[in-house]
Amino acid sequence: MAEHVILFAGPMGVGKTTAIRSISEIGVVSTEADNTDRETADKPTTTVALDYGEIAVGEDEKVRLYGVPGQRRFSFMWRILAERAIGMILLVDNSAADPIADLLAGIDDFRELIDRGGAVVGLSRLDAAPRPTVLEHTAAIAAAHPGLMIPVIPVDPRAAGDVRLALMTLIATIEMRDAFRPEEAR
Amino acid sequence: MIPAHRDPVVIDEARAALRELRARSRSLTLATLLTDDGFEIASEPDGHAADGRLPSMASSIQALADAVAREVAIGSGEFVIIASSRGHVIQRRVPGRPIVLAALFADDETLGSALAATRLITERLAAVAPTR
Repeated sequence: MAEHVILFAGPMGVGKTTAIRSISEIGVVSTEADNTDRETADKPTTTVALDYGEIAVGEDEKVRLYGVPGQRRFSFMWRILAERAIGMILLVDNSAADPIADLLAGIDDFRELIDRGGAVVGLSRLDAAPRPTVLEHTAAIAAAHPGLMIPVIPVDPRAAGDVRLALMTLIATIEMRDAFRPEEAR
Repeated sequence: MIPAHRDPVVIDEARAALRELRARSRSLTLATLLTDDGFEIASEPDGHAADGRLPSMASSIQALADAVAREVAIGSGEFVIIASSRGHVIQRRVPGRPIVLAALFADDETLGSALAATRLITERLAAVAPTR
């Protein structure tokens, strides 16, 4: 059985655990601790190691879904999990103080994975904060990283259909990049 | 409620507990008390918790160990041991508190005595640290 690892990344409180719970076909393994940093994200618990879920794709393929902690002090977990991953869904809360900065920081933090595999940006809370728009996020990526192809789509982490769409978009992006990659680099 | 890593009373108690651990275990190399979500409360020697990386890593390891214990339904985890050729790390939760002790011992400390010392310290700290 082929297995693929996909990361869910993004700042603390953006909805990574919720997104994995939305689509996982197994009970999600969570590593949540009491959150003492309520100024950064006002929620009772926070992920300190990983979230883990799975979905089957057909009979012979399994996608392992890993959520990484949002806080930078856990960046060692980003590196450990990124090594095994083929791609990443970067969630960005559009109602945050500076969502473009969160977007660009997430790309910088996982650039090696993005270059090796692929990424999709899932914009959440667009209903509460319609600006910057999807196009403005796309333009910010193009300005900061010319030539880098990262689709940006609206995602409600609570909506399984939204999260599945982001996942399918990511898989299509990775497959397309593989198809166009020079033979010797595959 | 003040988080444990910003509560001067808890920080003082944590420092005293770590000093006691040092007095009991001459091979103690480094010890830190941390919140469940990876913030350093106190360390021994003071300020040597490797730029906050040890508390963060200890927090992740503790959460993973707790997740495994949950998954295989063996109750709550009591302690975690990382044994290597030149020493061992013992992690132990302060009973009933969102606080974890991570202690690095050189290899001349027997595992038994290190476990006993960390148990004594965490139980003592449980009496004075805030509950969840």
